[in-house]
Amino acid sequence: MEDKRGELKKIIMDTKTLPTLPGVINKLNALSNNDKASVQEMAKIVSSDQVLSARILRLANSPSYGFYRVSTISNAMILLGVNVVKSLALSSSIFAIMEKNSVGLWEHSLGVGVAANLLARKLELPECEEIATAALLHDIGKVLVSLKCSEAEQEVLKLVRDRQIYMIEAERDIIDTDHAEIGGWLSKSWFLPEKLSEPISFHHDVIKSDNHRIKTSVVHIADVLIKASGFGNSGDSFVPVIQKVAWDTLKLNEQILAELVAEIEDKLVEVKNFSLEMMGE
Amino acid sequence: MPQPTRITIVSSDSQLTSHIQLRLHSKGYQVSCMQCFDSAMGMFYADPPDLLIIDLSTDTECSSKIVFTLRSDSYFSAIPILGLVVSIDNDTFNWNSCPLDDFVTLPLNYSELFSRITLSLSRLKRIFDNNPLTRLPGNTSIQRAIESDLGLPVSVCYVDINHFKPYNDEYGFSHGDEVIRMTARIMFNAVRDSGGGFCGHIGGDDFVCIVPNDQAEAVCQTIITHFDLIVLDLFDEETKRRGHYPGTNRKGEKEDVPLLSVSIAVVPMDMPKLRHAAKVAEVAAELKKVAKESNGSKYVVDQRRN
Repeated sequence: MEDKRGELKKIIMDTKTLPTLPGVINKLNALSNNDKASVQEMAKIVSSDQVLSARILRLANSPSYGFYRVSTISNAMILLGVNVVKSLALSSSIFAIMEKNSVGLWEHSLGVGVAANLLARKLELPECEEIATAALLHDIGKVLVSLKCSEAEQEVLKLVRDRQIYMIEAERDIIDTDHAEIGGWLSKSWFLPEKLSEPISFHHDVIKSDNHRIKTSVVHIADVLIKASGFGNSGDSFVPVIQKVAWDTLKLNEQILAELVAEIEDKLVEVKNFSLEMMGE
Repeated sequence: MPQPTRITIVSSDSQLTSHIQLRLHSKGYQVSCMQCFDSAMGMFYADPPDLLIIDLSTDTECSSKIVFTLRSDSYFSAIPILGLVVSIDNDTFNWNSCPLDDFVTLPLNYSELFSRITLSLSRLKRIFDNNPLTRLPGNTSIQRAIESDLGLPVSVCYVDINHFKPYNDEYGFSHGDEVIRMTARIMFNAVRDSGGGFCGHIGGDDFVCIVPNDQAEAVCQTIITHFDLIVLDLFDEETKRRGHYPGTNRKGEKEDVPLLSVSIAVVPMDMPKLRHAAKVAEVAAELKKVAKESNGSKYVVDQRRN
């Protein structure tokens, strides 16, 4: 068991790039050359895609550029430059096998990013864009599981169906780790700053988040709300309980939550249209 | 008229030397020849060439010594050196003791020699005074760029970071360096995205960019907007709310230091008053004072048209 986990960790730490969905790449390719509109459009597409966002943040924080704490796509675009971001995006490989799962996960991640942004702004928290980025990336570990151990992923999904348990429990059972920990490994080896890696690592276990608990709490609650809304597909369809520590950290109450849920529902219509546009063809 | 490029050839083969000299002359180079002997070094120091061609096929030891000596003095180490060799066996030849820029094999293919000379010189122009931290061109290139742009409808923008020194003292060199690198990158990208121009790093927290007059204000605005955004990542929430942090001023006294910001002085180069490059820096220095009078990031354009 220990071996399997160590082996997987090594594979993750050696991962230098990840494939993106063909729909995203097609959209990027379709953008014409250098006009301002395409830059903004490009930023919008990049910051809707967890893999592209992670790759761009990796480059901005890598030793070759020497910036240590770039945690938003807009700052990465300022520092790397539009040309670099564009070339990086266009050099993406694509998923060889396009599955329903990957689109579902893409939608789930985008949805959680949007919901986290709404919640952070509602609570007037600092660094809303960082929180939204962390939320977008929170399930990057699932992309890795699907890519690096696709057989195990099938077992995990089967276990979820057969025993009606949360995906994270099934993962621990089958691969002796889970997507949150795997996402944390990747964040480390990809030089992502702590304000992103902590929410990624602890969005299922908020109490373990020491330095960025507010951000982790927002991501956790956004994750729960998006699962409750039925938007996208994160691997299982069970809605986890909101952890008390997250609720208390953000000083939430029923009224704020009710308002937020309504705002999210509105916004998700827009997100769904964007998703259809991206994944269409 | 630009000075012709001066090339020195060191070889004890006088026939080879005069052949090369003749061919280089025809290409417009100014060439001097030298036998390989110990006093050769003195002649380099007295009158350093732009490029050196050294024959390693004969007198290998003496030639290697010249190369090594030149390289060990940082002032001369930038001069490109081309070695003439019969054949190179990479496994046995010790490049560390003979650090050439490039080599050409004998018998000479002149077209190859000319290409290698051109490439060596362009490489030198590209990187020799680049700042190691930001990799932007340094003062020699900046000076050259300003001189060649005098009278043209372009603007020289002097960018510097306000309150950089206390930040460096308080947060440490590595964070200070990061701010310098970020500023360089912000400026570079702003210039490139506006359609292009020149970017240089004077040193410390001082930068220069040169862009067409009609782009200058937009570029300055982009630099300021982006700098102010990036700065938010450098301070913690508490400091950002307060807008300042406890630090030490130039006199060594404790005082509250404002967050980082940028000042930009913009000098259009097509003003009749600007007759030489030194005047540009002078005008910029006055504008800087105006820009620094206000809090936060600001750019000021020289308005005195006559």
